[in-house]
Amino acid sequence: MNEMGSLDMSVDLGRGLVLANPVGLASGTAGYGFEFAQLIDLERAGALYTKGTTRTARDGNPPPRVAEVEAGMLNSIGLQNPGVDWVAEQYAPQFARWRIPVIVNVAGATVDDYVFCVRRLDGVAGIAGVELNISCPNIAHGLDYGRDPDAAARLITAVRSATERHVMVKLSPNVTDIAAVARAAENAGADSVSAVNTYVGTKVHRASGRPVLPQGTGGLSGPAIHALALAAVAEVSAALRIPVVGVGGIVDAATALDFLTVGAAAVQVGTANFVDPGTALRVLEGLTARRAEPELVEPARAMS
Amino acid sequence: MSLDLTRVRVECGEVTAVEHLGSGVYEITARLPHLAATVAPGEFAQIRCGAGPIPLLRRPFSVAWSEADTCSFVFDVVGVGTSLLAHLEPGDELDCLGPLGSGFSLDAAGKRVVCVSGGLGCAPFPILARALRSHGVEDIIVLNGAASAARLYPAERFQHGDGAIRVLEATDDGSAGHHGLVTELVAGVLDGAGALFACGPNPMLAALASVLDAQPSRRRPQTMEASLEAPMGCGFGTCLGCALPVRSDGGRAYQPTKSAISRGPGKWALCCTDGPVMAMNAVDWTALLELPGADVA
Repeated sequence: MNEMGSLDMSVDLGRGLVLANPVGLASGTAGYGFEFAQLIDLERAGALYTKGTTRTARDGNPPPRVAEVEAGMLNSIGLQNPGVDWVAEQYAPQFARWRIPVIVNVAGATVDDYVFCVRRLDGVAGIAGVELNISCPNIAHGLDYGRDPDAAARLITAVRSATERHVMVKLSPNVTDIAAVARAAENAGADSVSAVNTYVGTKVHRASGRPVLPQGTGGLSGPAIHALALAAVAEVSAALRIPVVGVGGIVDAATALDFLTVGAAAVQVGTANFVDPGTALRVLEGLTARRAEPELVEPARAMS
Repeated sequence: MSLDLTRVRVECGEVTAVEHLGSGVYEITARLPHLAATVAPGEFAQIRCGAGPIPLLRRPFSVAWSEADTCSFVFDVVGVGTSLLAHLEPGDELDCLGPLGSGFSLDAAGKRVVCVSGGLGCAPFPILARALRSHGVEDIIVLNGAASAARLYPAERFQHGDGAIRVLEATDDGSAGHHGLVTELVAGVLDGAGALFACGPNPMLAALASVLDAQPSRRRPQTMEASLEAPMGCGFGTCLGCALPVRSDGGRAYQPTKSAISRGPGKWALCCTDGPVMAMNAVDWTALLELPGADVA
């Protein structure tokens, strides 16, 4: 208990990024927070991870951009975003008024793109850190840095020297050896990793035989990937010393606790935000209630 | 930030009726006092179909009617979600998120209004017609088209006993009303209309836009709006899934005034927050029909 009489749920992810609680809203499922700020008490959540943000504004992919599959959805938004200048100038002042830390998800095609964005955000009030999206399956070159440990290391080394802020690296599950990329990220100076981004998936339109999504594939998210993401997070957690943030298919406190149990320090709620905007706060309430029960093992210690 | 989501609530209410109107067309009514008190014509709710992860996403439905503390929705069974809805019974729970989207412009309708409905596009017109009447509209013509007589939404459900609301029907197979497309009836009823409101499949709306474009400008209603559809993720402007192409040319092009603050400049509007009701001249109908995959969505 802290002085306020409430349970201390805080998580220190390193380099000054301390979340009041472990439950964040995942990138791409909460925009820049402006919708959720009206729908829920957003500031009670542990962190807001923004929509993937690029050096210049992107219109995104032609629709249809989403397709439902069994217990999940495919998306191919194509990083529609207003560009990093817009985020720094128009959105950050609002972020600075929120109690919730805002971590800007940054995407790019080249090392220069990432460095430009990170530098542009460095020192801007309201930006608590960056999450490097080295794993977007929906843009050309979006996965290059996420698949190759050496390329990831080069990118993260360059980004590391461009910011004093917390650098989280969002890992792609679409790799042969996720731990190798994670270790490369850690060795190159990442403060934490988040795992996992969406899995590459396809839905066929049965009448025409063509993919439903015009790009052919999209990113699979939702309950369908929970077990897959858990395995990835367990593997990455075992391989790293830096904190791991678990994401993939969380719908309630139990599915979130699973990630903490396998070694994650914090979690992100993603697709479930679409079904019920209050999911992240319900997850938080559930985790808080469990933490308050003394007979329960501290999740962070359960694996040691 | 002018996008207003402050009325949006998750509301679970008891189903009071599930009516099979014929040939796969259903109307479901549930006690949803918050939605009933706050919804405007053309706005929609995201309805959860079942409590489990299949189907995962909510389904968007225009509110067709509201009365006291209930709201009604019209749907047909096209997949697992709507099949679950069709099997609900009075006493079951309906989980809704709403009201969502932007509705029809009631204040610019004039004295005479034409509504054009294609298939399940009938959904927003009962509640719209009632609201228009209370906004001083004296004469409403509903052009109601469907594949067959059995698929026509019943005329009395647009009218609710109000003789100022007239219904002209069209069917693809000629089993009721005009034998042909509902859009073929439009030119004949435009005289004196201050507004035209439309809802139906996007290809029908595009055809309607062509019909209206071909009219001399003096015959075109001042206000022309259409309720569109797109595959949707969240329904409240966050996932950016339901993009619609908008025109960037001309003096009356799309003005990104609502959710734009959250998205910045772009060539797409979002069906869920910029729409589903859009000014017809803001939509790039050609692009909409030419989109890769537009026919498979």
